[in-house]
Amino acid sequence: MQMQEMQEKVRTKARELLQSGSVDCVIGYERATDGKTARPAFIYTADDIDRLIYDRTCVHNLAKYLLDRKDKTTAIVAKPCDSRSVNLLINEKQIVREKVYVIGTVCQGMPDVTWNQIGEENQERCQRCAQRTPVMYDYLIGEPADAVIPTFKDVEEMEGKDIADKRAFWQEQFSRCIRCHACRQFCPGCYCSECFVDQLDPTWVGIRKTTADNEMWNTIRAFHLAGRCIACNECERSCPVNIPLSLLNRKLEKDVGDMFEFQAGLDSEAAAPFATFKKDEHLKGVE
Amino acid sequence: MAGTSRMSYPPNIRIIRVPCSGRIDPLFVVKAFQVGADGVLIAGCHPGDCHYAEGNYHLRRRFALLRPFLDYLGIEKERFRLEWVSASEAKRFAQVVSSFTDEVRKLGPRKGREMKTPAASEAH
Amino acid sequence: MSQVISKEDLIKWLESLLKDRTVVAPVAADGVTMFRPIARPEDVVYKPGNATLGPKECLFPLSHTIFTVERNDNGVSIVPDTMDREIVVFGLRPCDAQGFAIFDLPMLGDPADPYYKDRREKTTLIGIACNIAPPGCFCSSTGGGPHDATNLDVMLTEVSEGYIVQAVTEKGKELLQGVPLKESAAVPPPPPDMPLVPTDDIVAAMRRSFKDQYWSRLADRCTHCNICSYVCPTCYCFDIRDYQQDGKVHRVRSWESCQSPGFTKLAGGHDPRPEKGAKMRQRFAHKLLYFPEEFKGVLGCTGCGRCVRLCPVNIDIREIANDVQKIGGG
Repeated sequence: MQMQEMQEKVRTKARELLQSGSVDCVIGYERATDGKTARPAFIYTADDIDRLIYDRTCVHNLAKYLLDRKDKTTAIVAKPCDSRSVNLLINEKQIVREKVYVIGTVCQGMPDVTWNQIGEENQERCQRCAQRTPVMYDYLIGEPADAVIPTFKDVEEMEGKDIADKRAFWQEQFSRCIRCHACRQFCPGCYCSECFVDQLDPTWVGIRKTTADNEMWNTIRAFHLAGRCIACNECERSCPVNIPLSLLNRKLEKDVGDMFEFQAGLDSEAAAPFATFKKDEHLKGVE
Repeated sequence: MAGTSRMSYPPNIRIIRVPCSGRIDPLFVVKAFQVGADGVLIAGCHPGDCHYAEGNYHLRRRFALLRPFLDYLGIEKERFRLEWVSASEAKRFAQVVSSFTDEVRKLGPRKGREMKTPAASEAH
Repeated sequence: MSQVISKEDLIKWLESLLKDRTVVAPVAADGVTMFRPIARPEDVVYKPGNATLGPKECLFPLSHTIFTVERNDNGVSIVPDTMDREIVVFGLRPCDAQGFAIFDLPMLGDPADPYYKDRREKTTLIGIACNIAPPGCFCSSTGGGPHDATNLDVMLTEVSEGYIVQAVTEKGKELLQGVPLKESAAVPPPPPDMPLVPTDDIVAAMRRSFKDQYWSRLADRCTHCNICSYVCPTCYCFDIRDYQQDGKVHRVRSWESCQSPGFTKLAGGHDPRPEKGAKMRQRFAHKLLYFPEEFKGVLGCTGCGRCVRLCPVNIDIREIANDVQKIGGG
């Protein structure tokens, strides 16, 4: 299905949902001030429907906004990656399935998009994405496409490096971190009412922003997402200093997949790997 | 018990008591490295023998994932160990601590930034 | 007639400055440009527009110790942290220099912030004029301009033979002592055009729009990621916390943002500004209403465009400046 047709279907369905009163708000995409890329849009009335767009610049994961609207009914435009985030939030009992209407869109990948700039090819994460069809939806736009086996070549390459090289690489990356916490704010999996980094009693990290503190921040955030991260890449996309966060999160995604045969966000009922265990499991590296 | 039995083990071990190994958040491990530890040892009850029934099963999964992750970041796997030692196994505890201390000594001090606030002139 | 320095002589000048000063300039790191101390002049990156992150850190570090408290035989001593070397910030743009001028208003007021003051007095600014204004820039609408030398010590404008050199202050003149400059007929190119943002009546427009629903609608898509505050040349909010290290207490000051979820949380748990819309309004009111009201009409925005380019959800101050004019019969 062409993008133009997809956009029309998004608008038609959104209009229908708002006019019937089934939802309070439709969260989708609209044109940004550069005239060529997309930004998140909150449509509250059918009069504003024509603000909605759908094209190859709609890279944002809108699922996080559902956490601001827990007691209201909301429709959301969700790509396959975004639909996994919605599943995660349902699984973790942060949102109620009945209050969300998912307008799922089949996706062949999107380019790197920043304000006023659209990349040529698909993003790296799209090139290795396993899903082309949303894993859950109330209404599907586009013909369902087959899933693909995910690859972790970038993680494997890093794993194979010498320990001193790995250390030097990550120290350099974390020295650039300005601790804006955009990664956390954009991540649908990060919703703790008090994040460990803000805890002052005890102070694990607190307000100091040295390389060592930054390393703690980034690595523990990654670990708190182990078995939960669906690699939507919002963290890396929003990072103003280009830290390759997906290289960090996906190491854990790969190991969780290998050790527990589990992928986050595919099933809203599945037991999370760190909330369960098997009494007689033999895990690599543990005697 | 090692103490009350007057067994000796290396003095450069700093003991952090937790009620159960299941209480251990990877946060504690990374923080320990950042405040200057060259090695971190987790000693927990044997699987099946947890005082709180299941804590060590959860810890086992966390450890299995954390160890390769630390290695990925440049902290050698050998600096992080999990041993099942029960409260009454004094001799085993002393042995485990000795052998771990030796191994960490061989690796040398951990290279990497520690948590120190920079001075004005080096605030970059 | 103007004074011109060749590119080769510029390198030599930087080398001589590096001998007894810290020189901070834009360097490249994985696709972003940031101001960092350089070891050699060749490390400096020259690209159109301003660096991804500005030189704010030079005078107002991301995180640093402002003083240490130590116990000694005489009791307790408090040792403030001071710069032991002079700093030269090289390659900043007029918008960044204007950012420092805006910082000076609260920071060098009465009483002055001693840590900022120490750094400010030991810093010299060598700026480069903008001959290209990338999309997003709007400094001509905020009281400055791409060729505005006002807040610099030395201004360089690129021409075919090198750079036209303008010593703006006594400090700048001193820094140029002994630097080989040639007389030249070169003239600066005309300053680049950029879209105009209506700022003449912005203070009144902001006041009129205060209670409008506009702010909470705008804030719907804000995720409180703090990027705008951290890249902004005029944001100066900070937090302070004590840390223990090496037997001393370090009082650490660190950047904060009014957009942070817990920014207004008080002891006891009450938060007087929990709504997204109120937080959003606060940010733009600070820049375009409270700051000019407090500081005799000086806008708290330099038009550098960083927040426009880096906000992941396109909250665009230029769009907001346009929108508020239409609220409340403006």
